[in-house]
Amino acid sequence: MLELMLEPILMPLTIAFLGGLVCLLLPERLIRARGLVGLATSLLVLLAMWPLWTGDITTYHGPGILQLRADGLACLGALMSAVFGVLISLYSISYLKVRASGRRFFTYLLWTLAAAEGAFLADNLILLLMFWGILGLTLYLMVGLAGPEAASAAKKTFIIVGATDSLLVMGAGIVWMLTGTTRLSELQALNTSVVPLGIAFWTFVAAAFAKAGAFPLHTWLPEVGERALVPVTAYLPAALDKLLGIYLLARASIHIFALGLGERTGLMFLGAITVIAAVMMALVQHDLRRLLAYHAVSQVGYMVLGIGTGTAVGIAGGIFHMLNNAIYKSCLFLGAGAVETECGHTDLDRLGGLARVMPLTFGAFLVAALAISGVPPLNGFASKWMVYQGIIESGQERVGLWIVWLAAAMLGSALTLASFVKALNATFLRKASPEVEAAEPREPSAAMWLPMLILAVFCVALGVGVHRFSLPVFIRPASGTALKLPGVWAAGPATLMLLTALAAGGGVGLLTLRGRIRRTGTYVGGEILSQTYISGVEAESRPDLEVTGVDFYREIEHLPGLARMYDLARKGAFDLYEIGLRVVGYFVELLRSAHTGILLTYISWVVAGLLGIMIFLLR
Amino acid sequence: MIHAIPMMVVLPLAGAFFIPMVSRRAAWVPDAVGNAVMVVLAVISFGLIGREGIYHVGGWPTPLGIDLRLDGLTAILLLAVNGIGLCAALFSVSYMELYTSKFRYYSLFLFMVAGMNGVIITGDLFNLYVFMEIAAIASYALVAFGCEHEELEASFKYAVLGGVASSLILIGIAVVYMITGSLNMAQIADRIQTIGLTPPILLALCLFVAGFGLKAALVPFHAWLPDAHPSAPAPVSAMLSGVLIKAIGVYVMARLFFNVFGPTSDLLAVMRLLGVLSMVIGVLLAVGQWDMKRLFAYHSISQIGYVMLGLGLGTPLGLAGGLFHLLNHSVFKSLLFLNAGSVEYSTGRRNLKQLGGMARILPLTGGTTLVASMSIGGVPPFNGFWSKLIIIFACIRAGFYGLAGWAVLVSVITLASFLKVLRYGFYEAPAEKLRVERSMAPLMAVALLLLAISCLAMSLFVVTGLESPVLVDRAVEALSAGVFGM
Repeated sequence: MLELMLEPILMPLTIAFLGGLVCLLLPERLIRARGLVGLATSLLVLLAMWPLWTGDITTYHGPGILQLRADGLACLGALMSAVFGVLISLYSISYLKVRASGRRFFTYLLWTLAAAEGAFLADNLILLLMFWGILGLTLYLMVGLAGPEAASAAKKTFIIVGATDSLLVMGAGIVWMLTGTTRLSELQALNTSVVPLGIAFWTFVAAAFAKAGAFPLHTWLPEVGERALVPVTAYLPAALDKLLGIYLLARASIHIFALGLGERTGLMFLGAITVIAAVMMALVQHDLRRLLAYHAVSQVGYMVLGIGTGTAVGIAGGIFHMLNNAIYKSCLFLGAGAVETECGHTDLDRLGGLARVMPLTFGAFLVAALAISGVPPLNGFASKWMVYQGIIESGQERVGLWIVWLAAAMLGSALTLASFVKALNATFLRKASPEVEAAEPREPSAAMWLPMLILAVFCVALGVGVHRFSLPVFIRPASGTALKLPGVWAAGPATLMLLTALAAGGGVGLLTLRGRIRRTGTYVGGEILSQTYISGVEAESRPDLEVTGVDFYREIEHLPGLARMYDLARKGAFDLYEIGLRVVGYFVELLRSAHTGILLTYISWVVAGLLGIMIFLLR
Repeated sequence: MIHAIPMMVVLPLAGAFFIPMVSRRAAWVPDAVGNAVMVVLAVISFGLIGREGIYHVGGWPTPLGIDLRLDGLTAILLLAVNGIGLCAALFSVSYMELYTSKFRYYSLFLFMVAGMNGVIITGDLFNLYVFMEIAAIASYALVAFGCEHEELEASFKYAVLGGVASSLILIGIAVVYMITGSLNMAQIADRIQTIGLTPPILLALCLFVAGFGLKAALVPFHAWLPDAHPSAPAPVSAMLSGVLIKAIGVYVMARLFFNVFGPTSDLLAVMRLLGVLSMVIGVLLAVGQWDMKRLFAYHSISQIGYVMLGLGLGTPLGLAGGLFHLLNHSVFKSLLFLNAGSVEYSTGRRNLKQLGGMARILPLTGGTTLVASMSIGGVPPFNGFWSKLIIIFACIRAGFYGLAGWAVLVSVITLASFLKVLRYGFYEAPAEKLRVERSMAPLMAVALLLLAISCLAMSLFVVTGLESPVLVDRAVEALSAGVFGM
């Protein structure tokens, strides 16, 4: 057993598991020590990943189902999980609500990391199923850490994730029965036009979608985003679950199954819907965390679109986007966490003016927001650009639909920018509300802003260095194919030009406007509101006269056509979970009404059952 | 070691008579004797694992005397009955303080254990009937142990329906005796090989399916269970749902159909049908419940359905899945009932609508309930995951994609219904403030921990491969070896 645990490829798992155990056994009051153990353990896991990443160790065959391998795709996921483990541990050390959750937070965090490493490195379908299931459990437990208010969100999450886990068991069974093996590396290009294998493929897709949060299995994500602890959201739904879900989707689509046109079209259809539907919901949110959660759904659409194209550049783009999204989305959630720590809430209607008091948080948030909106030269642009190219290339085999997918993707990108303009304005830029001023927000501690800054630097580096190292180091080994990029995007020169332009513009502005900027209150029709009195109240403190971005976007909900969709969405008409509840509830009532508690009825069932069996067996 | 087999019946019977004789003088005797007997039985049944043989009672050879048979299947069932029995007995020490006349309780408890052990080890059909009735009648009394209105009503229904089942079984045995002229299982098997499954034998089979199906609470013979199991004191519920329905229901069916009559495709189809019906209807009835114990009881119907589905496939993998699930279910279901018992012990409530936040009030029970819920919901790394996985795989391998689909669906609803228990009972804040009347007793905690650790430890049996979880591979051999030879 000990020998087994010291096997190099199992080291990341072992270390994370033991670290979690240590955190669990440490006395309740050693709060800081637990955080440090968590940080040290995830650093060690990162270190243990190194020989795998450099390709020194690739496979391991133990007894029974214990088969592991570290190929490019698996290593990318496993390495990035460890990176997020380190950053989130660092952030959580000083996060107040984590302290309240006692010894469990860091234990769950490290065990989640262990299970994630296992899921990425597993070379056996059954082993993968096991780690996959454990991840569902740890997600449930981590969401539940936020206390009684998160209990319903945790339940919903685990029902959706657990349901698809069970489906995946069935898919794995079908694959096993038709191929005779459960070793992933022996499963190659299974033909999805064989009906059972087609079903198996969609069970893999369902599991991947539920984990990553793609339409129609995404409905747990907004609730988790709003209610779970912020480090938990930044760690699991924003980062690890994306890596895992898209890892499984990529594994199934690229390696295990050979997709037909039908499967690819299906994937791209779902991807396009995910992009648009989720971003439309994000536009009208009033809570920063919920808004971010809807974007966490929307971005998955790009990855699904990319992988669904079936082209080399599209797949590479999808995987690259998975990496990028995990980075900027995690950063955004951490930013929201900093805002929440300082102001006590994340309600956009009651925030504002934080850019001045929290410049580092604002800077990191801004970079990540621009990255998610696909503004060049940041990483989000690079991967979206590749996805677009993949979509166009996929159009060569069938004319027509590709233009729809492309339009959806690009429109989604524009709407993402629009919704982040709103979020940035409402949180950081517009005038601080009296409530915010009363809370006296400051820059949070270094343990909190450092992870955000590191992630923001990643956003820039992966975008600017797209050809230099992002693609060759991270993506090419993972997607497994040589890349031929048809479109022209020279990140380096473009960045230089952008920077020059910004510098020139800034310089002109500084030179011409310096000292001539007039600061004044809001005014309407020439009257400065702070100097007028309307019905005896000083106007500036009247919120009904403040025009905020939040109000501005509210109009979308009343547009003809859209209004009805929003209405239906709010009632849960697109939520498979709600629909399932109703269907099951109907049958439950039906059966309960039959159980009256009358003995004669029950005896007559016995007689009827006996007669039925007699008719069947004695025929 | 083979001479220890009769001890499995003799010891609990002796204990059952001894306790009421002496307990008037010393109040500690029932606890001590009851638990001591269960410890010895658990140790013996642990030692019997991996052994085989036939014990001739009184030294009489096969056709004249009664045989006691020990094989792989017997061994794992004995382990389940006596292991769970030990945990239930440990739990009873403090829990049964809530009731009066503890000596009656332990006496009945040991009668029930003796009956179950007897059913499992006997190789004689009529002897089996007698032991079954001992276990069943003791359980009728235990269900009514609280003597409140509800408990008496439940016990009455249970007794009436159980009586119907017993008479069906007795008629079946009579028919078999009439045709084969023997009550010894091996001899019956031998004669049926030559006679074939003639219509009278088939009639007996129908009676056995219905009779033992009722004891196992398969749909449509299930109606007594949701009243009876929740009404009993918690450790008894744990025994009833955890092992009784298997020992005198599922086990007997498996034994008779596979080793005595020989499984025909029709018979297997009936088993699968009853299995799926129980799975689906049981879980749908469970998910709407708010009384914790009642919810658990309905899940027993559903989980027994899984076991029957696995057995009904008739393939080695299906048998392995079914038997493994039988063992796993006995562990996590008894754990669930003991958890409900410990919640009731400290708050006096078991309705989820009146509960809440128990994870804070009883952290240990919160943890063990989480473990048991995840086990029954089929979440790794707990044991229920593996047996469900094997059953689903076995369905697919046997070509029954539809059955695999039902198994998946039921597993999802099961998980959902236990997440409901966790949410309303343990995590969400209670509607009104709970008054904690008693804190957890140490022996109760020991019982909970033992079972929770088993939930995790039993997963290790599949590490060597799914095809043969180490614990059940001999039992699978015993069932798939065909009918008994003389």
